[in-house]
Amino acid sequence: MDMKTDQGRLRLSADVGGTFTDVAAFDEPTGKLMLGKTLTTHQRLVTGIETGVDKAGATFPQAQLFLHGTTVAINTILERTGAACALLTTQGFRDIYEIGRVNRPEAYNLFFQKHKPLIDRDLRFDIRERVDAQGRVLIPLDERQVLDTVAEAVKKGIKAVAILFLHSYRNPNHEKRAKEIVEKAFPDLFVTASHELSQEYREYERTSTTAANAYVGPRVRTYLGEMDRHLGETGFTGTFLVVQSTGGLFDIEEAQQSCIRMLESGPAAGVIGSKVLCDQIGLKNAIAFDMGGTTAKAGVIYQGDVLMTGGQIVGGYASGLPLQIPMIDIQEVGTGGGSIARIEAGALRVGPESAGSSPGPVCYGLGGTEPTVTDCNLVLGRLAPDRFLGGEMKLDLDGASKAIEGKIGKPLDLGTLEAADGILRVAVTKMSHMVRWVTTERGLDAGDFAMVAYGGAGPLHAAMIARELRIGKLIIPFAPGHFSAYGMLFADLRRDLVNTWFKPFADVSFDEMEALYRAMEKAGAEDLARSRDMTVGTVSLRGADMRYVGQEHAVTVDIPMELFANKDRDGIKKLFDAVHETRYGYHNADEKAEIVSLRSATVGQMKKPEREKLADGGASAEAAFRGNRKVYFSGVGLVDTPTYDRAKLTAGNRIAGPALIEEHASTTVVHPQDKVEVDTFGNLHIEIGRA
Amino acid sequence: MDAIAKKGQPRTTVDPVVTEIVRNGLIATTEEMKTNLMRTAYNMIIYEALDFTVGLFDAEGNTVSIGLGLPMFIRGMSETVKAKIAHFKGDLEPGDILLTNDAYITGSHLNHMTFTVPIFHDGELVGFSCCMAHWPDVGGTLSGSTTDIYSEGLQMPIVKIYRKGVISDELVSIIKTNVRLADRAMGDFRAQVAAVKTGEKRFVEMLRKYGRDDVLSAIDAIMDQSERIARERVAAMPDGVYEAESFMDDDGITVGARVPIRVKVEIKGERMSVDLSEVSKQVGGFYNSGATAGMSCCQVAFKCLTSPLDMPINEGQFRALDIILPPGSVVSAVKPAAMRMWMTYPMTVVDTIFKAVAPAMPDQVAAGHHADLVVARVNGRKAVDNSFYIYLGGLIGGGWGAKHNGDGMNATIAMNDGDTHNGPSEQVEAKYPLLVERYTLRPDSGGAGRHRGGLGTEQVMQALNQINFSSQMDRVKCRPWGLFEGLSGQGNSVAVSRAGATEETLFPNGKAFNQVLKPGDAYILRSGGGGGYGSPLERDLDRLADDVRCGYVSRAEAEKSYGAVFTADGRIDPAATAKKRAEMRKDGLPIDEPIAETLVFPPPPVQDHSQLPQKLTEEERVAFAMNCRCCS
Repeated sequence: MDMKTDQGRLRLSADVGGTFTDVAAFDEPTGKLMLGKTLTTHQRLVTGIETGVDKAGATFPQAQLFLHGTTVAINTILERTGAACALLTTQGFRDIYEIGRVNRPEAYNLFFQKHKPLIDRDLRFDIRERVDAQGRVLIPLDERQVLDTVAEAVKKGIKAVAILFLHSYRNPNHEKRAKEIVEKAFPDLFVTASHELSQEYREYERTSTTAANAYVGPRVRTYLGEMDRHLGETGFTGTFLVVQSTGGLFDIEEAQQSCIRMLESGPAAGVIGSKVLCDQIGLKNAIAFDMGGTTAKAGVIYQGDVLMTGGQIVGGYASGLPLQIPMIDIQEVGTGGGSIARIEAGALRVGPESAGSSPGPVCYGLGGTEPTVTDCNLVLGRLAPDRFLGGEMKLDLDGASKAIEGKIGKPLDLGTLEAADGILRVAVTKMSHMVRWVTTERGLDAGDFAMVAYGGAGPLHAAMIARELRIGKLIIPFAPGHFSAYGMLFADLRRDLVNTWFKPFADVSFDEMEALYRAMEKAGAEDLARSRDMTVGTVSLRGADMRYVGQEHAVTVDIPMELFANKDRDGIKKLFDAVHETRYGYHNADEKAEIVSLRSATVGQMKKPEREKLADGGASAEAAFRGNRKVYFSGVGLVDTPTYDRAKLTAGNRIAGPALIEEHASTTVVHPQDKVEVDTFGNLHIEIGRA
Repeated sequence: MDAIAKKGQPRTTVDPVVTEIVRNGLIATTEEMKTNLMRTAYNMIIYEALDFTVGLFDAEGNTVSIGLGLPMFIRGMSETVKAKIAHFKGDLEPGDILLTNDAYITGSHLNHMTFTVPIFHDGELVGFSCCMAHWPDVGGTLSGSTTDIYSEGLQMPIVKIYRKGVISDELVSIIKTNVRLADRAMGDFRAQVAAVKTGEKRFVEMLRKYGRDDVLSAIDAIMDQSERIARERVAAMPDGVYEAESFMDDDGITVGARVPIRVKVEIKGERMSVDLSEVSKQVGGFYNSGATAGMSCCQVAFKCLTSPLDMPINEGQFRALDIILPPGSVVSAVKPAAMRMWMTYPMTVVDTIFKAVAPAMPDQVAAGHHADLVVARVNGRKAVDNSFYIYLGGLIGGGWGAKHNGDGMNATIAMNDGDTHNGPSEQVEAKYPLLVERYTLRPDSGGAGRHRGGLGTEQVMQALNQINFSSQMDRVKCRPWGLFEGLSGQGNSVAVSRAGATEETLFPNGKAFNQVLKPGDAYILRSGGGGGYGSPLERDLDRLADDVRCGYVSRAEAEKSYGAVFTADGRIDPAATAKKRAEMRKDGLPIDEPIAETLVFPPPPVQDHSQLPQKLTEEERVAFAMNCRCCS
């Protein structure tokens, strides 16, 4: 290829996960998608990305855009390898980070361990200042104390400072001033103030968010700086953007400041990929289901929009650290291919213990001895010993069989196949409860949704989960094993802002509200301005967290712009009533509502190039057929099952279950009553038969 | 295999896969009931304090799965469902919803409105879905102590609040007439009805999907599995009779008269029995609870010791436990005992059971914890619109006891509550005319030990507008005890700080009734620390140094209780410390003080603010009052 004409034709993305680095390269002029999967190189992550780009058959100079999803931020928290930080907080609230919400989720466990702050108590400091809930200054900021305190902390070796003052969502001036003072005196420190990340009430959650940002900040800043420099060295002249937990992109200048916003970039990109797929094929409601080696995750697309949440807890509900920033609402359950099955007091249990990737399932032959979900798939014939990862890795069928027989089958008096099938059914119901949860928690019914399933293990189990939840339509996207990298290619630039503003809705001044939204939209637009040449347009979205007066939990109501333009108080109230009805099963038109927070999202829409289409090949999938294999199905037993090579399927192909559709990084199981059709983009549409 | 283990085998041939699927389904169902309740509830006591319990029960009222909620209510719903079954004697129909808040049935206070739906499958009664939740107000006196149930509010006997799907307007009208904030109460009412219906719906779905027989035998098998786990744990405990005693400060009526809690635990083979016959008779004040609560004490302790993480909570877990509990004790009180603060004493009963069995199973227990919710009851009117409000403050978390392998937790909610959250200070200030001046850990409040007790907390709350304040806590003088030479933690306490006054007004027995606070005054809640575990003279010096560096332990306390000797530059001198520790050991030091005769409070402010300056703006007045109390 001619380098000159190739320049700037590619859109590149890299999703660096714990085990694999996935690269997707999209050739804009032809719509061709190229993929590369390689092991993550933890010593130097750039090396893995380069290998992946190479495997995909692409080069950096060809790219005009490099989109990156990384686990560097979340791993820094989970592995506790972040920077020494100081926390400056309102006098009297030094311990709020440690006190937290005082809950004991493991109510009968005398050995319960609550969250451990990322900053030790000797580096958490009270600063004389106080603002009240209306934003009025009661005690002015003691600027001298700020300076002296940080100077002392610097002597103890801190690299970052987190600042949280009470009610900074109403009046951020003290935080701003304190940050200015610290940055001026200590330009090498990473300094972050809570109002930059969250302008929502709840001081503990905001403290935890700000502390986490300070904790990961120096490392993420260095990582992105090095990556940027390295990209320059490879001849890349395009734009480098990072994926946020909202599924939106931000530029590296922002990413190096609000590091915590990239925490869940990989999983978020998968949901964005699902949304793009839904848009393409005209689906309004879908559950995005992602299953890998240790966990299964689910997000929701409802009425064409990805459902978001205001925060999450990193490291598990009982002992984790809360983050209060908008992100895609993704639920997770500890069930994956590596989940271990065991007998406990005569009962069958599956997970959450996982064999992970090392030693991994018994069939990997790397020393694993406990039967896992992957071992069951092998024993049941759903995975082939000689076709795993395109045959790159041989699987030990005999070892898997013996483990299942010895550890589960015999103790429960079940045959090996029945035992393997039972383990799978238990794993599937656990995942089904999680998937159901993402819908019922919002008052929705999973049965009204289609499911998009991806991740290495997603296509193996999705049909069983769909059947369990009475989901009729299942879609296995093109390249399900690289789906997060693929999703990134279609992300938009995005800035989410939230501002807590407690107001009885009946008395709200539309002018005042408009001014607050405008301020957020201005800030959002400014963030996006640096990448303006990448976008084809900007859209502002508005919402509000509302509740009936007296309630605690608020619901987020997405509000169309015209309701603001018309100052339509009744219209907004009706919208809130409707959302409340959906979510909680009742509403009261006569009851007064109040506003808790205003939400704004500014979206810089990226060009969305079309993917190339598959050739039309008619109904017969004969060309992709690669022989029969015995596969076990629940309630049916062993069935001689045709297998197909997914790479050879063409648009319009139809396959009736039972069947297996195999590709490099995944296998799709088509159950006896199910039917598959291949669409023009290479997605598999599976109609789940009613038993 | 011996006879008892055989009993743990499934009674019928059940499919182990379906059993596990049903088990996960039951857990998911009660979690969904819980979520629906929390998200729809109107009052903070439900959605933040999680003062509720939801559950599924079999046709006889036995617990199939409980979603918490309130850990100490582990027994309350099953007993209430059984009482309802007995009351209606089979007169139950689809669409009925049964209600009661009878304190002697639930074992707790009248705030616990308990709704139950009978679940039918093909016309047959197969189980119950039930939801208890705490209503912030059920009438009764707002202030002072109560001495009988009649002054505590509306008593709703067992009734059908819905009959065949039709709500009883008369009964609803009685409720609305008798409670303050009736609209809020009806919001909680609806939330509870939604929760029990969710349970009914999912249970019926499960029966349809897997078949009645399979599901019901799976439930039997799940209970049998739970029973086996518990039995195996009890069998591993050394046989013997173990006794312990502790005291409550007083009942709020007879000031200073300690209330004894004596428990006897017997372990024999695969069974444990807990005898509460020697627990104090019921008291005059409102600290009584019903027999259901006494049984809960034993079950909570038993679950902590045998199967803390085994889910779902079900009847099988407790089959190996025998309870001896004659009526008329402070945890098996009979009418008309006052019950409003039912939750306080049972927590200490649970701790005392751990104290009794500690010598037999030192690795499974924790030292005493602060054992009180440390709650403030506030009511007043808002300046903006003169509207009346009730605020339940506190729930600030306290110290937990140390264990054989680690320090106690700091600032964690007491045993009565589980996933209970405190309210964000920013929300409290936005909602009520109150200002949180300080919410911090209490250094040195954790009992010294090889493993240190967790720290209690302190919350200082300034009234911006006049308020009425009450707080009744216990374990003020009778401090959370240590184990195996570990020292006691500091007790709970309450105080009022008048604007401009140099000293706090103290309440030596922790009972502050009907305090009127003027703008600028503050109330102060202090939760106790946990007890230590093992001799403080054996505490690892690196960890002691960390404690001092982080300010969990003061230097003075490190010297006095841990025998630390510091060098001139503030480091611990290991050689000198070893020597001093040897001497202290010889002299029988440090000395524990399990009953605090003297209350320990921070020193008064250094500045004298005896005169409140005239003509301040509101902001200046608030800041001034705050500065007066700020001594650091």
